Amino acid sequence: MSLLNIEDLRVSFTTADGDVNAVNGVSFAIDAKETLAIVGESGSGKSQTAFAAMGLLAKNGRATGKVMFDGTDLLTLSERQLNKVRSKQVSMIFQDPMTSLNPYIRISEQMAEVLMLHKGMSKSDAIADSARMLDAVRIPDARNRVRSFPHEFSGGMRQRIMIAMALLCQPKLLIADEPTTALDVTVQAQIMQLLGEIRDEFGTAIVLITHDLGVVAGFCDRTLVLYGGQIMEDGPTDTLFADPSHPYTHGLLRAVPRLDRADSELATIAGEPPDMSRLPKGCPFTPRCAMRRDNCAADRPPLVDFAGDRRRSCHIPIKEVV
Amino acid sequence: MLSFIARRLSVAIPTLLILVVLSFVLMYSAPGGPFNSERPLPPQVLANIEAKYGLDQPFWKQIVNYVWSVTTQFDFGPSFQYKDRTVNDVIAQGFPVTLTYGFWSFVVAVVVGVSLGIAAAIKQNSWLDYLAVGISVGAQVLPNFVMAPLLTLGLTLGWFWMTGAALLPGGGWEGGVIVAACAEKDNFCFGLPWGGAWRFDYLIMPVIALSTSYMASIARITRSSMLEVLNTNFIRTAKAKGLPMGRVIRKHALKPTMLPVLSYLGPAFVGMITGSVIIDVFFSTGGIGQFFVNSAFNRDYSVIMGITILVGALTMFFNLVVDILYAWIDPKIRY
Repeated sequence: MSLLNIEDLRVSFTTADGDVNAVNGVSFAIDAKETLAIVGESGSGKSQTAFAAMGLLAKNGRATGKVMFDGTDLLTLSERQLNKVRSKQVSMIFQDPMTSLNPYIRISEQMAEVLMLHKGMSKSDAIADSARMLDAVRIPDARNRVRSFPHEFSGGMRQRIMIAMALLCQPKLLIADEPTTALDVTVQAQIMQLLGEIRDEFGTAIVLITHDLGVVAGFCDRTLVLYGGQIMEDGPTDTLFADPSHPYTHGLLRAVPRLDRADSELATIAGEPPDMSRLPKGCPFTPRCAMRRDNCAADRPPLVDFAGDRRRSCHIPIKEVV
Repeated sequence: MLSFIARRLSVAIPTLLILVVLSFVLMYSAPGGPFNSERPLPPQVLANIEAKYGLDQPFWKQIVNYVWSVTTQFDFGPSFQYKDRTVNDVIAQGFPVTLTYGFWSFVVAVVVGVSLGIAAAIKQNSWLDYLAVGISVGAQVLPNFVMAPLLTLGLTLGWFWMTGAALLPGGGWEGGVIVAACAEKDNFCFGLPWGGAWRFDYLIMPVIALSTSYMASIARITRSSMLEVLNTNFIRTAKAKGLPMGRVIRKHALKPTMLPVLSYLGPAFVGMITGSVIIDVFFSTGGIGQFFVNSAFNRDYSVIMGITILVGALTMFFNLVVDILYAWIDPKIRY
């Protein structure tokens, strides 16, 4: 049985200009200890998918569908019941480590409160455990620095602290929402390495939300490509990268800068991301798709299984997507 | 921190000196004097009186004498208006009154304002929010010179007509708020465990009249500040930890919410404890607000100077207190 099973998830936001449909029927599952990448450009609904699962949508947001975790639908839980899942079973780390920690409270307090809440530990035990966890994410001199304030750490260090805090209760699932986007490249590599070690050491399943295909390549078992709040393609990372079955994936991969090729110009996908308040009836990628057909704009292609472990949503036959 | 306080205090002294000199110059250049009246005094008499108070001396000598006696003997001189009293007497009589009703106004304004603001922010766009915003807008546009007579009309006269007995005294400041014992007729009086009694019927109307508009501002600032804080990433992190909403507010949102409120509270506190002429006139409380305005009308130079310096010194002191509180709340601020 899969650990997390999302079925037909839809997220919409009520705004003054009408409803914005950020996620439009996304279904996927992740097994225990698996690593899944959700890839897409800004506004593709990848973060909102995660926020909806955690019950962290903005006030004007609504989620429908099912988010089955361990046999319960998280969307139906009350805030109180959900609080027993958050951080204890499913943890989340965020894009911007500089602002994700409370600047007014010591790290020790911020970490210890998680253990005190979910495990009923005493404060001193909780702080000792927190320091041990900081040590595990390689914060130097963790025993002393646990009592520091967030501003006394660099961005990369703060993301390590966020990771340590998320892992305190050894959750089964860690959702990492663009964990390296705000960090510089060398630190990015360190954080990804750390996440890899954590996966191996604790057996935590990881959902990695990113727009950086380079980060995905060496890290994730499976990759899900989102566009316009819909799944374009889903499959094992290796095959998906080697042999993309969707024009959008194809374009994304071509847009990754490569050092080993002499191409002078970086390929881009022409056009702009769709307006989520006025999505086309058919495939949302149609206006930017170089291979579009007559029926693309009108009929939404179903997400179909193929090649055993892959899924795609496209009218164009696989053989023609190259 | 200690060196910061020392530095701030050392800056405060020249600032006060500048305040003294500027107010002195302003008053000196205003036409008229304390002894001009509708029926002019004979020139000889006027000259004698002015000589007695040192007003015949050249300007620079007057100001040097004044500053000297203030700084060395803490003597603000005699009042020109009340012949047998010094400025220190006037302040000693009036300031405890304003301090008392000002302090309680502050307490009421902060407690009601902050809770209203927080409640409104948490339940944004609910009836509670609209009610709170409505109350604070209403309270803000209702000036205290409208508020004060309305209160008297309602709680004293209106009550009297309806019940035949006054709920609250129409005004006055009978012996202050700490009294030896409660009288039979007192509606708002409690015995204190350590003897004596706390009688606050005289306090109620001044406190309501003075605190309403401050309360409204505090509620407004708290609400918008809290709304901003609730949208920050670290509040999202706190929610993702599974903390119940009450804990998120108390532990994570309250401190940053209070920062902008705090910078308003410093000057507001001084404004309240130095009273208001409206309050003093409508409720006959006898605070320094009334003395301040009267002394300005009567060119009672020394009283004006005395109260100006008092307000100035208090303002500087409480701004310092706010800065210290800032450092206590925000660990990034280190002096």
